[in-house]
Amino acid sequence: MADSLTTVLESLWDEVEVVLGWEAGYDPFRAVPAFIRRREDLTKLLWNPLCAPNLSGYLAKTWEKTAEGPKKTAVCVKGCDSRSLVALIQEGLVSRDRLLIVGLPCSGTVDPDALNAARTSSAPVTHVRFTRDIVEIVSDDGTERIPLERVVARRCRRCRHPNPVLSDVLVGDPVDRPAPQDPFAHVRELDAQPLEARRAFWERELGRCLRCYACRNACPLCVCQDRCLAETRSPKWVSQRDSLRDKVLFHMIHTLHLAGRCTECGECERVCPMKIPIGLLKEKTAEIAFDLWHYEAGLDTLVPPPLLTYDPSVSGL
Amino acid sequence: MKRTCFLSHEDLLSWLARLAEKATVWVPDPDPAHPQVVSYKPFTPGSRPDFRRLPSLSAKGVLYPQGEVLLRFQKDKDPSAPSGYRLSFEDVLPVDCAVLFGCPPCDARGFLVFDEAFLQGPYADPYYRERRERAVVVSRVCRTWDAACFCHAVGSHPADEEGSDVQMIPVTEGHIFRAVTAKGERFLEGVGVQPTLAQHQEAQAALEQGRAQRLEDAALVSPSDDFRKRFSDAAFWRLWTERCLSCGLCTFVCPTCYCFTITDESDGIHGERLRSWDACMFHHFTQEASGHNPRPSKAERYRNRVGHKFSYFPEKHGRIACCGCGRCIRSCPVSMDIRAIVRALSQTEDAHV
Repeated sequence: MADSLTTVLESLWDEVEVVLGWEAGYDPFRAVPAFIRRREDLTKLLWNPLCAPNLSGYLAKTWEKTAEGPKKTAVCVKGCDSRSLVALIQEGLVSRDRLLIVGLPCSGTVDPDALNAARTSSAPVTHVRFTRDIVEIVSDDGTERIPLERVVARRCRRCRHPNPVLSDVLVGDPVDRPAPQDPFAHVRELDAQPLEARRAFWERELGRCLRCYACRNACPLCVCQDRCLAETRSPKWVSQRDSLRDKVLFHMIHTLHLAGRCTECGECERVCPMKIPIGLLKEKTAEIAFDLWHYEAGLDTLVPPPLLTYDPSVSGL
Repeated sequence: MKRTCFLSHEDLLSWLARLAEKATVWVPDPDPAHPQVVSYKPFTPGSRPDFRRLPSLSAKGVLYPQGEVLLRFQKDKDPSAPSGYRLSFEDVLPVDCAVLFGCPPCDARGFLVFDEAFLQGPYADPYYRERRERAVVVSRVCRTWDAACFCHAVGSHPADEEGSDVQMIPVTEGHIFRAVTAKGERFLEGVGVQPTLAQHQEAQAALEQGRAQRLEDAALVSPSDDFRKRFSDAAFWRLWTERCLSCGLCTFVCPTCYCFTITDESDGIHGERLRSWDACMFHHFTQEASGHNPRPSKAERYRNRVGHKFSYFPEKHGRIACCGCGRCIRSCPVSMDIRAIVRALSQTEDAHV
């Protein structure tokens, strides 16, 4: 798969200034964001279920393109990443005409923790291979074969757009996978619990939060960057206390700023060092947006997001 | 002769329970709902400590809490005062005795960096000092390392005793405990039974195996000159930090990052002066009142992180401010690899163009 990605980009190289893709990280379980500026480096590109990081966010923040030439920025997107990119274009935060969007149909990304837990050997991994439904892990102890389904991330189990919703070039065949019966099943399951149980759940989960803000910075739609409300000193909304109250307040700010905007890529949850299922909070707002307006964020660049429109004549919401 | 003793797995839990009556005993404790998340928590009779895996969070919070109250204040009405108010203060000093039990050697060594920063020089930090003096550190010989570990590259190894009062060595059916410091000798008085010769030999073998373990080949012990040469090479830092998300995860999980901020947090008339973990990866860390920020982007912030650990700190204190636990690499959302960056410092000037 990575070979065809490289081939496609090699054929388009004359139009491209830089490619945002993935390459091998420090161990075979890690694929990391790559910024490729030389044609010969295209062979470094990786494309497999370990390519979890959503690259769309880089286009709107924390990344500066070094030169502003006439050429395009090529960005590799999975289904979820393409929704984030569409949402950024909808909000005018990313300019569509300077992009070459490389769509990658995706059958789900792998959770490295689940992969580690599923292993029977503890020998260092030397190589990872993927077939259609199997992860093959090669180490000094031999080859372990683990069904992909067992180690797919939660965010991918509820994915209803495995194929990019917007792309200039599609690499690989579209994934033909039935949509999950209820993408909001995890939220509804939690919602079905009594108030006190839900409160206990969130106190336990959010109590572990360090406020390292990895969730915020990994979120492609959290674009305030150095002007985040959670860190303003005047006025100071969130205190420095290591208290549940402040942790909850930060996560509520984060969630509400994503209401009707979140594209459910699940990066916030993936990057949390404390494994807090914070994706659930955003899924709840996505569920509400869907119920209220039948709106799914990041599907159409021409549709204004509902909370970015204001019409005083509308009442009764 | 250093005191050694043996405790079986059952005896260990009852010893911990006895210790917990007199002190807060911090053990690596897996989260009940997410067993892969291991953090240090006070031992309680139901605790099932995990002495095998590297905890997700370092042990620094034991001696250096994420939010530490330095003093409390209260504002009362006082018509005789010119402002109409009188402020009263209450000093707060920690008084708890703590045992940090079963941490990996890298976490124990992390505190040696804190000792330099907080206890050396003209001003010792009274809060850290109080906690440090009352604490006993029991580290375990580490046997579970992964591709992110690099303690060897910073002058340590999985059986390192530096920074520990007692060493805990896993043997068949239990553990051997071995005093390292005088504090450790006292701590082990009357504990356990004399190890058998076989147990003693097994422990010795485990120690030797740990000492011989090489987790990383190239040493990262003297990059200071290379760092200075690279300091103003903006392209180098921009390129190497391109994928960084600029969050504070690496500094929060780090056993040696000690930078803090001080804020006054109040609710109505009550409040406290709080010292809390801060991170040089955050933009406001160097934000000046004028609006100027000397580290305007993640490239300068990351450069500071590398410089502090591998250049400024070693030049001042003679010790690298990194213990090679690898958490900043392992937990990073985009697997930023500080080892690779430190190694790249010494490459030729134009290698990155």
